[in-house]
Amino acid sequence: MEMIRAEKINKSFGKLKVLNDVSFEVQQGEVISVIGPSGSGKSTLLRCLIGLEEINGGEIFVEGISTEKEGKKAFRKMGMVFQGFNLFPHKTVLENLTEAPLIVKKEDRKTAVQKARTLLKKVGLGDKEDSYPSQLSGGQKQRVAIARAMSMEPDIMLFDEPTSSLDPELVGEVLSVIRDLAEDKITMMVVTHEMGFARDVSDRVFFMDHGKIISDTVPEKIFVNPESERIQAFLTKILNENRGSHQ
Amino acid sequence: MDYILNVSSYILEGSIVTFKLYIITAVFSVLLGVLGALGKISKFKFLQTILGIYTWIFRGTPLLLQLFFAYYGLPVIGITLQPFPAAVLTFIINYAAYFTEIFRAGIESIDKGQYEAAQVLGLNYRQTMTRIIIPQTIKRVLPPTSNEAINLVKDSALVAAIGLGDLLRAAKVAVTRDFSIVPFIIAAVFYLLISSVIVTVFRKLEQKYSVYE
Repeated sequence: MEMIRAEKINKSFGKLKVLNDVSFEVQQGEVISVIGPSGSGKSTLLRCLIGLEEINGGEIFVEGISTEKEGKKAFRKMGMVFQGFNLFPHKTVLENLTEAPLIVKKEDRKTAVQKARTLLKKVGLGDKEDSYPSQLSGGQKQRVAIARAMSMEPDIMLFDEPTSSLDPELVGEVLSVIRDLAEDKITMMVVTHEMGFARDVSDRVFFMDHGKIISDTVPEKIFVNPESERIQAFLTKILNENRGSHQ
Repeated sequence: MDYILNVSSYILEGSIVTFKLYIITAVFSVLLGVLGALGKISKFKFLQTILGIYTWIFRGTPLLLQLFFAYYGLPVIGITLQPFPAAVLTFIINYAAYFTEIFRAGIESIDKGQYEAAQVLGLNYRQTMTRIIIPQTIKRVLPPTSNEAINLVKDSALVAAIGLGDLLRAAKVAVTRDFSIVPFIIAAVFYLLISSVIVTVFRKLEQKYSVYE
């Protein structure tokens, strides 16, 4: 089943063209990593899919539903995890998870709490339900954010650089939660700089540059045998940076 | 001692006006301030301009002048108000201007990511404001609101200038009548007591909201 279809989407901020005729499709259960240099439009692409940015041209279909015609219905199929967590600081971990199910889906409290607890266990934070976000580490915050997005039972999860603001030693725990989701066959698009994750977990890798997807292929092809010099240069640079930061 | 009690009860009578003015002003100016702030952050340019002119005028001119305007000025154009309504009206409009700016700044200090998180979870604008943004704003605006609450206690004494029998005026009458300085001291003690209660209430509120962060 086709989960996302983007047809020639365009997005500009003023004179700056951030997305330039971007087209792709994502099948059910696929994990897509979106990589590329900063400013290439990766985050904007995700933000357009879920309606945080309005597109200036083209069309997006989520499970066949046009985001232009039935935005609310289409966007509801997706959940999103941000680089900066964006947890609600005035609510406890449990309340962060139950908020949307209670007031958007109008679930009864018992069901919502039960589901929230199951999700918290799943991300390894069963003992933190009464904590406030400020009492958690970055890795724990991001795991709560993932559980919160899952609380609305989306068919598709969008991750916008989920580990970029984490200390290096906390990246692993978040990636392992995302890996678990991948094994559950949830459709995912992950904007990431973690090349190991992109190589091991994704079914396909989008390489973006200057507002275009210049390569859409299986990870082996991009990492083992990159076609273009542009990708090669990017990978060399990223790998050197990573090596540098681990010394 | 008897004299002190007598004067105190006399001044206490006067302070009824002060209390009434305080409560009515506090309730309505805060409500109007919230509406003003929501108007100022709305996308309606016209509304923003109107509210901008409003806060500019009422924060930029003396409260005493506004009070004189309402009580002595408006009758010139045929609108005559009794002293108490004139005072209440002026105080509400004046304080709402300050609260509009305080709450606007508070709302705008909330990270954009909070709106985005609420949006992708499916919350609409009203739900986002009432459940996510405003609760966080309350915590941030408590200290400046506490300042205004104390200012209001002291500003209330200005109504003596349009002949309202408030706390200060009662004290002044007693001073003139008895040729004693004691009523002023008692009045000062009253003001301090009221301010202290307000400070304590706000401290408790701030503690309550310090559960997170």
